[in-house]
Amino acid sequence: MDAATYSIGLVVVAIGLIVGFAAIIREKDDLHRILLTDLAEVLALVVIALVATDLAEALILPGLVVGISELMAVSEVYIAKEGLKAPEGPPFHIEVMDSAPGILALILVAYGIVLSGFTGGAVAAVGAVFYFMCRGHAEQFELIETVSGYAWAIWIAAFFVFMFLPAYWFFGVMMAGGAILIKVMAKMSLVGTMRRGGPNV
Amino acid sequence: MFNLPTTNIGGQELFVLEFGDIVAYFSPYTTALFVFALIFTALAIVSRPEKQMDIAFGGDAYYAKVVDPELMRFQRFMAIACGLATLGAMVTGDVFNFTLFASLVGITNIGIVAAYRNRHVLNAAFQYGIVAMLATVPLFGGAAIVVASTGTLSMWELFTGAVAVPLIAKAFLVLGVMGEGMAPFYVAKAEITRAQGAPFILMVHVSSLLLFLRVAEIVISM
Repeated sequence: MDAATYSIGLVVVAIGLIVGFAAIIREKDDLHRILLTDLAEVLALVVIALVATDLAEALILPGLVVGISELMAVSEVYIAKEGLKAPEGPPFHIEVMDSAPGILALILVAYGIVLSGFTGGAVAAVGAVFYFMCRGHAEQFELIETVSGYAWAIWIAAFFVFMFLPAYWFFGVMMAGGAILIKVMAKMSLVGTMRRGGPNV
Repeated sequence: MFNLPTTNIGGQELFVLEFGDIVAYFSPYTTALFVFALIFTALAIVSRPEKQMDIAFGGDAYYAKVVDPELMRFQRFMAIACGLATLGAMVTGDVFNFTLFASLVGITNIGIVAAYRNRHVLNAAFQYGIVAMLATVPLFGGAAIVVASTGTLSMWELFTGAVAVPLIAKAFLVLGVMGEGMAPFYVAKAEITRAQGAPFILMVHVSSLLLFLRVAEIVISM
């Protein structure tokens, strides 16, 4: 990216920051302040993304993780501060939640497997999350956890292939791509079971 | 192979630890900070929470405050994690890693301050959390502008005279560390310097002091 484009991007981010910070100063409700703060944090990722190199891509992920963990910490403090409890009563239900999950989950999972890798895992997981949220679940969590653990081990093994047997890089790419697909999908599909979970969720 | 380009602040390097292209170093200055953080981390590991007495005014009666073991354990864990993050921030040779360690200190400080059930303490922790989250914007923004304008994040390159770091990046870095190191202000605001579990609160002060000293070294050397 040339310098002029970068400067324009920085100016846009600066305007966004001014708007965001002005909003945070004006806002009095604590919950809304958390949301606005998260929006402002996205702008930090935008500043990193403006660098537009491979290095920037590597920096965005830790930045995102730090942002999310701070958001989680502040949300926990907010929950404790306000003394909030999980809502009781029957979960939300509409008719489309009976008819749609099968076909949508099938399309998303199939497309995710075609994509493979991290993106594919996320796409496939959205299908699985949607299915579990709508249809409920009766599977063994230990099995999902075990599969996810093996997938992680294969992913790490793929990195060792890259390091010690660089000649077999294609094999390593295939291992890493398949394993991260299963790993992300298994982890995220657990999210879908949180809504109608067992007695302790 | 490695020679710290500026010797006027930190002195010559004593020891260099190489992780690929990320090279951590100990100069006399950072070694002093490192040892200081190490001592207080050890203190957080071995110390026991303070037990407090409330005296009913005008009589002989007094009652002991109860230390909740759950909260105490959480606070001690956060204090130790804060110490480790501070240790990392003291020795790292990479600007982005420094910003990551600084925000890790911020997160653990939220944990230390939040380990209470009082509403006004939680309010202070919440406000500090908002400030710490907002501070990541200039912190990461500063590191991003450094890498955009110089093409490197390594302090070994940035400390040489050949590389000019723009003033705005330095200002952003300092601003970000100010936000993350704001915790003692909120400790004072919530008046928990001598609350239950008092020794662990010390780590908040230690970590922000050391972060300020380290960012001063980085910004002046750049």
